[in-house]
Amino acid sequence: MIDPLWLSLKVTAVAAILIFTIGTALALWLVRHQPRGRTVIETLIMLPLVLPPSVVGYYLLIVLGQQGPIVGWLGIQTLFSPAAAIIAATVVGLPLMVQAARAALASVDPALEQAARTLGCNEAMVLWRVSLPLARRGLLAGLVLGTTRALGEFGATLMVAGNIPGQTQTLPLAIYDAVQTNQHDLTTQMVLLMTGLGFVSLWAVRRWEPSVGRAK
Amino acid sequence: MDAPSEQFMSRLQVHAHRRSADFELDVDFDIDGGILVLFGPSGAGKTSTLNAIAGLHPLDDGRIVADGTVYYDRAQGINLPARQRRLGYVFQNYALFPHLTVLQNIAFGLGRHRDRFEHARQWLSQMHMKEFVDRYPHELSGGQQQRVALARALAHRPRVLLLDEPFAALDRVLRERLQAELRQLQKDLSLVVVYVTHSLDDAFAVGDRIAVLQEGRVLQQGPLDDVFQRPQSEQVAEILGIRNLFRADIVGTNLDWLGLTLQAEVTERDSGNVAVYIQPSEVKIIYPEAPVAEGLLGNLFDAEIITRQRHAAGWSVRVRLSNEQMIEIHHATTAYSKLDLSTGTTIRVALRREALQILRRGDPAS
Repeated sequence: MIDPLWLSLKVTAVAAILIFTIGTALALWLVRHQPRGRTVIETLIMLPLVLPPSVVGYYLLIVLGQQGPIVGWLGIQTLFSPAAAIIAATVVGLPLMVQAARAALASVDPALEQAARTLGCNEAMVLWRVSLPLARRGLLAGLVLGTTRALGEFGATLMVAGNIPGQTQTLPLAIYDAVQTNQHDLTTQMVLLMTGLGFVSLWAVRRWEPSVGRAK
Repeated sequence: MDAPSEQFMSRLQVHAHRRSADFELDVDFDIDGGILVLFGPSGAGKTSTLNAIAGLHPLDDGRIVADGTVYYDRAQGINLPARQRRLGYVFQNYALFPHLTVLQNIAFGLGRHRDRFEHARQWLSQMHMKEFVDRYPHELSGGQQQRVALARALAHRPRVLLLDEPFAALDRVLRERLQAELRQLQKDLSLVVVYVTHSLDDAFAVGDRIAVLQEGRVLQQGPLDDVFQRPQSEQVAEILGIRNLFRADIVGTNLDWLGLTLQAEVTERDSGNVAVYIQPSEVKIIYPEAPVAEGLLGNLFDAEIITRQRHAAGWSVRVRLSNEQMIEIHHATTAYSKLDLSTGTTIRVALRREALQILRRGDPAS
């Protein structure tokens, strides 16, 4: 159980960083610039929430595969490596982050950002000193939800990263294997561990939620 | 970019034009030191004007110069970003940073200087807020928040201070104190202040000059007293909320106000139906026993007191004249005056000929 747990933690840690930075950047872009076709863009970002994991996995196979842009343009092989597991985890965790971050950033009073500008802040400083600190609860909630979702990622990971023990076999995949091979005790342990992690993260988010994005 | 010039008198020139889907702002005014009140109903473009000066709203034409520094000039292609305009802006509802303490709020605009907190502390003690340094904005009362907002706006030593309805949410006592403090600060720091309000009391209390706005345009501007004594048009008088505004017919050299004949300074240009007003403080109450002063001899009428209200300086009384019309009187009580002003009493009032102002639309009175 140690190997898959350790691998899961590593994969999830990297995915968490990606989810947070990409998710916050996307949310900012959506809130600040109100890009044309925003609804379509937002819907596309949310899509992994509702699609079957096999569909997400299939798209990822196309993007990461031999004919895909990652190999074709960048020459980077990711399929069936931990990197593929990270990408799959990021894609499924991102919607939750974007959703929470968008709500939190939109709820920051624009007058506060304006005030910061009149006090000498450029846009980066406004973001760093006002917008992000004020949105921190929402951002944190999004990060926890997205990361927990990433930790539990199964289907897409199986398709693009495989189920290679010590390589790409994360905790959810290890549970699947344990069930298949009738290792009841091991299954129970891992299932309880996943349930506990999920519970703690949802509980934490619930505690933050009443004041998501709201100024304290 | 020009460096700020070393003039002693601060000067602000504003011409700003901005057209959006449902609103057109086209304001033009300037001010040499002192406090300019931007007065008008909500939606008149007061806040938009401040945002234009601060550089928070894009403009499509105009020129804004403060103290020799060009903030914006369409023709020259200059548009200084808000952060470089070095002005103080006190927002409606203060816009204090809720995640920062009072001290951090005030030091916010002071960059990374080592002594920025020391500087901020000095401002706090000047504002009598020393004991609140480590509080958060939500732990302060409205008046305290207002002082912090003012200190934050002034801490980086701007020459121009913009205030958006700063004292609207405060009670009268506090408002009066802050109004006095603002006047003092303006003098001490020789600031140009642009002060947005829709309250007459506010305007009178702080303003040196006033610009009356409606629908994105300046209808009239000038020294406060001038504008109040001589509103250029009925529109301006109405926006200023001048009481005792009524319509009367020109009959010869007199006015006929629904059956009441008034002597007035009618010129040959006046004809037909005109708007007339008299300021409540210009309506004089005649003391029954005292001889009537010579200047009050014309336009003497009986009036019945309908309501009255006590003020610090005297009484505000509403009376009904024989033509069934109501007027408002501000009567200053003096040590000598012993006058029965209870409701239902009939008093004698003088609507002095000189005090009756005939408003002429679109015709600047001089």
